[in-house]
Amino acid sequence: MRSLKNHVSLIIPLFAILFAVEFYFVINAIIKDYESRLNRDYSIVVVANKELTLQEIKVHEPDIAQLQELNSTLVIERLKKNGIKVDFNELKNFLPKFYKVYLSSFPSSQKLASLRNKLVEIEGVKRVEAFTKVHEKIYRFLLFLKNISKLFLAIIFITSVMLVFKQIEIWNLEHSERMYIMALFGAPLWMRNAILIKLSVIDTIVSTLLVYLLYSYVVGSGYLTKLLGVESIGFTSSDLFKDALWLFALGLIISVFNVIIVSMRQPKVA
Amino acid sequence: MAKNVIVAKDLYLEYKKNTPIIKDSTFSIKSGSFVFITGPSGSGKSTLLKSFYGELKPQQGVLQIGGVSLNDIKPSKLAFLRKYLGIIFQDYKLIKEWTVKKNVMLPLLIAGYSKNVCETQTARLLKHVRLSGKENYYPMELSGGEQQRVAMARALAHNPVIILADEPTGNLDEYSSRVIWGLLEGANEQLGTTVVVVTHSIPSNLKVPYKHFYIEDGKVYEIS
Ligand SMILES: Nc1ncnc2c1ncn2[C@@H]1O[C@H](COP(=O)(O)OP(=O)(O)O)[C@@H](O)[C@H]1O
Ligand SMILES: [Mg+2]
Repeated sequence: MRSLKNHVSLIIPLFAILFAVEFYFVINAIIKDYESRLNRDYSIVVVANKELTLQEIKVHEPDIAQLQELNSTLVIERLKKNGIKVDFNELKNFLPKFYKVYLSSFPSSQKLASLRNKLVEIEGVKRVEAFTKVHEKIYRFLLFLKNISKLFLAIIFITSVMLVFKQIEIWNLEHSERMYIMALFGAPLWMRNAILIKLSVIDTIVSTLLVYLLYSYVVGSGYLTKLLGVESIGFTSSDLFKDALWLFALGLIISVFNVIIVSMRQPKVA
Repeated sequence: MAKNVIVAKDLYLEYKKNTPIIKDSTFSIKSGSFVFITGPSGSGKSTLLKSFYGELKPQQGVLQIGGVSLNDIKPSKLAFLRKYLGIIFQDYKLIKEWTVKKNVMLPLLIAGYSKNVCETQTARLLKHVRLSGKENYYPMELSGGEQQRVAMARALAHNPVIILADEPTGNLDEYSSRVIWGLLEGANEQLGTTVVVVTHSIPSNLKVPYKHFYIEDGKVYEIS
């Protein structure tokens, strides 16, 4: 019973650390996936009366990744469909060139506005039409979560490491007599600490497993896809498995590091 | 002429500043000898023994064990040195979470012997201390005399060069005392182990020749 309580008091802080780290990983993966999805949901069309090259407009806006010339009749059809108010007769008369512009990342509405201003300045550009199908609310929410999770991670990390340290100190006291006797017979430091390291490894395995199972459940249940209103979240169980290995390594480093610190703080017997 | 295994010159030991427990003491102990240390209670017998196994460092003077100075010994060197010692404490100092067998095995595990060697050596020693059949008991399940016999087996397990014993038969039953004295004599006689025993009364029926050190007012005297 006593030893169970001892295990729990190391498993809880380790679990908290690993949970927070994994939370950060998951949010990051979702944001990345979401961004790539959003990329397909905006459109910038540049109307110009002369030929434009990518190099030429990249000078004005380095975030432009690609420039695609469009067939003008197709463009007009499309603009009509999207309900953009353009003078179609004027367009036909001048037979200008149409370009679709792709950016390297998903633009915010401010970014889009400033981009439009920049593009209009370019010589030969007559018009710029830009619109997004705005998922911005969810996107902003994800970014908010990402920032919160950073803070959350920092707080949990510090308090949990302190708790891990405390628990290992308690273990050290509990086992100090045994470690002292071993030292009297010439046992090296690693041998005296072997018991604490063993306990740490066991608890790290348990904590990692708990985090893994919890996230497996959440990811597998489809709760997140429903919450975000998307068909998949770009985070699979194989990602989770890979993360679990990292989490195990991290947990091990934290606890073993603490064992070493605690044993060095101990009043020297040997 | 046998070599000196323990050499002390103007040895000075204290726990608190300016309260010497041992002072101005010069003596040496020859390899293979059997030495008794006696003296009034509180005279510093245990303190002197502690300095021999490096738990208390001399503040002044010289103390060497097996030619190694203990004055400013590094922890790793001390651990190395301790592998050659077999220590018996008045309060046994058995590891209470471990069985009798594992306790006896401790010095063998530290020395890195194979499992096979550990097992046979431990079984042999437990037979010597008349504890065969109690391998899987925990220290708490044994009498004081039995616990001290486990400690005796542990001290002998790795064939130490020096045995340091602090009142090993202090308040033991007749039978356990006899077993322990017999084994200490045996180690000295047959293996040439140096034996240093702190005691308040030297057994009268000892078969081996011995030296006698006496501590009084912080000074160590060799009286025979
Ligand atoms: N850890 C310690 N800290 C301070 N004083 C101690 C400590 N251990 C022993 N002493 C003191 O040292 C003196 C000698 O103790 P000890 O060596 O145990 O005597 P003996 O073994 O001869 O009976 C005693 O006065 C005792 O109070
Ligand atoms: Mg004493």
